[in-house]
Amino acid sequence: MDLPGILFVVRWLVRDTFRQALAARTFWLMLSVSALCIVFCLSVHIENGESLRPPGEIELFGGDKQPLTGPNPNPGHMTLGFGLARLALFRDAEAEVHLLQALLGLWAAGTVGMLIVLVWTAGFLPAFLDPASATVLLAKPVPRWLLLAGKCVGVVAFVGFQEVVFFGGTWFALGVRTGVWSRAYLLCIPLLMLHFATIYSFSVLLAVCTRSSVACIFGSIAFWFVCFGMNYGHHAIAALPYLDPNVAPFSTRTTAMANAGYWLLPKPGDQLILLDEALHGDADFDVLPPVFRIFRAKGNFQPRLSCMSSLLFAVLLLGLSAGQLRKTDY
Amino acid sequence: MVRQVVVEFRDVGKVYRMGWRRRGVRALGRVNWSIHAGEVVGLLGPNRAGKTTLLKVLLSLCRPTEGRVLRLGRPGTDRRTLARVGFVHENQALPRYLSPQALLEYYGALTLVPYEDVKRRVPRLLERVGLSDRAREPIAGFSRGMTQRLALAQALINDPELLVLDEPAQGLDVEGRRILHELIHDLRRRGRTVLLVSHILDEVESLCDRIGMLVAGRLVYAGSLTTLVQPSSAESRQPLERAFDRLIAQLPNGDVTARARVLSPV
Repeated sequence: MDLPGILFVVRWLVRDTFRQALAARTFWLMLSVSALCIVFCLSVHIENGESLRPPGEIELFGGDKQPLTGPNPNPGHMTLGFGLARLALFRDAEAEVHLLQALLGLWAAGTVGMLIVLVWTAGFLPAFLDPASATVLLAKPVPRWLLLAGKCVGVVAFVGFQEVVFFGGTWFALGVRTGVWSRAYLLCIPLLMLHFATIYSFSVLLAVCTRSSVACIFGSIAFWFVCFGMNYGHHAIAALPYLDPNVAPFSTRTTAMANAGYWLLPKPGDQLILLDEALHGDADFDVLPPVFRIFRAKGNFQPRLSCMSSLLFAVLLLGLSAGQLRKTDY
Repeated sequence: MVRQVVVEFRDVGKVYRMGWRRRGVRALGRVNWSIHAGEVVGLLGPNRAGKTTLLKVLLSLCRPTEGRVLRLGRPGTDRRTLARVGFVHENQALPRYLSPQALLEYYGALTLVPYEDVKRRVPRLLERVGLSDRAREPIAGFSRGMTQRLALAQALINDPELLVLDEPAQGLDVEGRRILHELIHDLRRRGRTVLLVSHILDEVESLCDRIGMLVAGRLVYAGSLTTLVQPSSAESRQPLERAFDRLIAQLPNGDVTARARVLSPV
């Protein structure tokens, strides 16, 4: 098939995935969660949140225009839930919004949201590959690998659309309410799409091998935890001597195994570090676990290699899935 | 006049690997058979005879373990020829979230039919199968018969040269069957080839020019219907059902033993 033909088929498969999501109510469910978060952001209000760091300055300055050495004597306030909760600002409006964005991007969407999305999208491919519905599609001239790839692109595009709504909506709501327009927050969209695609590739392999939604749900969640554990373990080996100097050094074998597992598997932990760097690498707050912070601070983190190896893993798994589908009898 | 061979099975055999031990179960044993352009051919046989497997091998849904298939003059591995083939599957589940119109557009795209042609054909096809008044309703609310009519329509979206029908009358009411028969007659008039698998012998008798009979994965008869129902000039014409029984009885030790032999582990 030529490229226009491939793009034509992929376009229809993407369209079908969105229709499938609409019919399965996944579309509306995810949109509702995004809407809730947007409403939460609309409920934020900041009083007296003037910036303590004038443009071009590194130092913080208090209300008296003198360098700030201790806590802010006259902190502003942030209200949440349309005034239901009132909190003192730890610095100024900008830092407070950055903290909110970090919590939304790293933990709400990057971790909890990722697990929820993996569950909600796990049924798409098994339903598509079920013999009763796939037999006629597989008797069409489109190669099997293209049907599988098109459907995967559809699922990733669907998740991408939901991320655009979530991040675009929360960014806009926070901007309107606080006047802080941090464009770095929108980098979460491509980063999380990449992360979802790498973990979802395992779900694709399970779908092709088992055609079972249950296997895909539990398999992909378990896989995410294994990858996170491996990622955390690898960084912990490097960071523990700094956290606790009395800790016994790890054996060469353990270190080699952690290295192999780390470079082979996708890296959900690194995704958090990347998101944190993209959002507010110079912020006065920490939303990352100490192991990750130290690992990064010691200059061990290699973002490009980390992303490339995760992507390579996804490509290999998709190739394996396509090969398996090609030799499956329907 | 020599007619073009549309489908050719050459020594086609299929062994399925089942279970953890990958035990081999033979579903087809060296089938040799040809179907020519413009023919309406019936494929008969008892349950588990291998009829659906033969169709699946023809449509590249499963790979033969022996022999080869030629489809529209090209090897079965050449998927491009599938753009000129239509297929109705016996237990077909259509996406319930689509409307008939959306389904035909989607399946048309995957059959690589230009979108303009699909747009032109969809209203005609829906009218042909009696679903034009429900073109935009979700399939989820359709009865089995209506879904089957839609399955017929999707098989015709590419105006196929070869139409493969696996139990197409399942779930169809009288009107649905009339539509099906008209469609097949129309395709025959236009010189198209139809391969029909059916358990309804009256239907096969009224529609088909030739038949093939599979028993236990082996093609035990391939020829004209006339020869089968009236074996010699001395004998009177007999219903296809009786001819079918006679053929099975002529098999060594009857059908059951033959099936047991062929479906046994290899």
